[in-house]
Amino acid sequence: MMLLALTVSFSAFTALSLAMDKHQLDLHGKAPASPARMRRWRWLGWALLALSFALCVWDHGWAAGPVLWLGAMTVSGILIAFGLYPFRPRWIVPLAWALPVIGMAVALLAR
Amino acid sequence: MAWLHTWTGLLVGWLLLLIFMAGTASYYREEISRWMRPELPRNTVSNEVAAERAIAFLQHKAPQAESWNVTLPDPRNPAMRMFWRNPESMVKPPAEGEKRRRRGGGRFGDATVDPGTGEEVAARETRGGDFFYRLHFDLHYIPVYWARYLVGFCAMFMLVAIITGVITHKKIFKDFFTFRKDKGLRSWLDFHNVSAVMALPYHAMITYTGIVTLMFMYLPWGVNVAYPKDEDAFFSEAFARLADIDTPSEGRAAAVPIQQLLDAARAEWKGAQVGGFTLYHPGAANAVIDIQQRDGKRLSVDTPSLRFNAVTGALMEASPRSGGATQTRGVMYGLHLARFADWGLRALFFVSGLIGCVMVASGVVLWAVKERPKHAKSGKIGFGLRLVDALNIGAVAGLPIAFAAYFWGNRLLPVQMAERSDAEVNVFFYAWGAALLAAFLWPKRLMWAWQLYLGAAMFLLIPVINALTTHAHLGVTLRTGDWVLAGFDLMMLAFGAVLAYCALRMQRWQPALSAAEKKKRQVAAAAAAKAQESAPVEANA
Amino acid sequence: MDSTPDASWFSRFGSFFARPWLGVLSRSLAAIFGGYALAATCAMFFAVALPIARGQAVLTGMLVAIVLCACAALWAFATRTALRAWVGILIPTALFWVGTELLRAGA
Repeated sequence: MMLLALTVSFSAFTALSLAMDKHQLDLHGKAPASPARMRRWRWLGWALLALSFALCVWDHGWAAGPVLWLGAMTVSGILIAFGLYPFRPRWIVPLAWALPVIGMAVALLAR
Repeated sequence: MAWLHTWTGLLVGWLLLLIFMAGTASYYREEISRWMRPELPRNTVSNEVAAERAIAFLQHKAPQAESWNVTLPDPRNPAMRMFWRNPESMVKPPAEGEKRRRRGGGRFGDATVDPGTGEEVAARETRGGDFFYRLHFDLHYIPVYWARYLVGFCAMFMLVAIITGVITHKKIFKDFFTFRKDKGLRSWLDFHNVSAVMALPYHAMITYTGIVTLMFMYLPWGVNVAYPKDEDAFFSEAFARLADIDTPSEGRAAAVPIQQLLDAARAEWKGAQVGGFTLYHPGAANAVIDIQQRDGKRLSVDTPSLRFNAVTGALMEASPRSGGATQTRGVMYGLHLARFADWGLRALFFVSGLIGCVMVASGVVLWAVKERPKHAKSGKIGFGLRLVDALNIGAVAGLPIAFAAYFWGNRLLPVQMAERSDAEVNVFFYAWGAALLAAFLWPKRLMWAWQLYLGAAMFLLIPVINALTTHAHLGVTLRTGDWVLAGFDLMMLAFGAVLAYCALRMQRWQPALSAAEKKKRQVAAAAAAKAQESAPVEANA
Repeated sequence: MDSTPDASWFSRFGSFFARPWLGVLSRSLAAIFGGYALAATCAMFFAVALPIARGQAVLTGMLVAIVLCACAALWAFATRTALRAWVGILIPTALFWVGTELLRAGA
């Protein structure tokens, strides 16, 4: 469940970063997405963050849950900012799709 | 605000780095202690058996004690710690010239017992991970009172640095994911910003809660004015403790088996685990036992306890609910210690702590990188920058060397030597002192590289030394699935690899070319190309 | 260019104190010592003033005082002059202290 929360917040941050001009340019060069599209990324990003929060609280309670959520955001944020955007930007979007699936699989298998 | 952020960060940055590194290591203090006492077996007995053996040991070792306190084994710590308090009459004054014991001069006793055998643990004398825990607020070699004031002062500086950092960072949302590499000063600033912002809730929490853990020392006057004649009443009122036990009765009576009492406690708590217990006036007719719940789902460091009559087994009272402020303080303290954290959450805390170390380190390095061009014109490095360079190397590269040296000392110092744990601690400080001295003698980029390489080598060799000196090395621990010991060795390899990478980058770093220099090289390259073209023509002619 | 000896001594005295590093030193002292004094008196005041159980009031005072100390440091450097830094910290400190004394005498 922790892995799922982590991967969901990874995808959430990916979505939120895609809602910024700067990172659109990182990924797509001269042809960034339209403002409408970026707004959709922003909504998706925040929704996924909320989902990640809900997962953390559902699994760890209202005490440790929020703490876990903040930690998950820290780790996924660092991964994106230090690891992926500077070195392997092309991996970000595929990972953002694939990782939550893996997280879900692990969470279901562990039950 | 930017000015305030720079100076509150820089002036205490090096000491903060020590505090942060030691504090981060403390998240795994039990695991470190286990690795540093490889003779300790893994715990396989149940808590009931462990408790019975503890009682048997105490009956043999401290039958006249006023109280026995036992901490039962848990998944992170296989040994049992126990304390006992002897009656006043038993205290002997220390003999002439004899070193006074740290704890009340003979009034208290303690032992670490192996629950598997019921005997005292026969492992090498070491402070283990507790050294790092104490180091990060008691420092070392100076009186504890001064150390805690100094650490509190640094923590306050850090709190101001965090707040001013947020105020100064105008593009905090726009630059949330921004890290531009290979751009010199710009990269260092991005690195510092991202490491600070990504773990901002953690940094703010750990700093504030750190001050809270020692706030009774820093702000005693509130207690003084509200409880003018009776300060102890504050602690008993605020902390909802069960009342103190009065004198033992004259009659003797056998206590109910400990198993029964622990079962009763667990039943009352609907399954929550027992962390430990304190038995008052063992053997007396009015013996009473307080059973403490283990840290678990609650964030607060104050866990509930139950009081039983040890002779009849009847439940006497439960610890009362505490007031709002007490609960708040308990949660603050609990967040700082993170005892409630399971392995996953603990790993996240540890990573956040490492990010904190990296944030502080990048901050002090950033200052030097920014300052250096101002000295380029005169060609000579000023006193301030040289001092900062030396401290940067000595702290950022020197501290990892010290940490690795502590672990080397644990494996290489003779197991039977006297004052062994003090010797291990001295090894830590000798190594750090040597690194600082070398840094002060020659604060250049190559010194960075050498110290980082040395740190890397020392960390990478720890699993090797482990294999050469003990039977708890990776070859064994990976096979038996002992993830605490294997994990430690693997982390050492990971740290070594990261340090080696940093050292390599330091060694290979080239200063950015100025525009004039770039032009000169372009012209030279063009001339060389032209010469190449004309040479074959001449040869053919 | 006043030729009276007293005035020139006075203006030299004044310009010495206009040096920037003294302003920084003054603000730093206000932030550190003034801030600690503010925290101490705040803890005292809350301990006797809050209409809740004594022990809880004491704890609340301490928890708030830490934050107040950080705020004092920010105030000391954000405000326009070093004098305002001191005044802005010492006046609340004095008020807290007086309030504590009054409440203690009344109790």
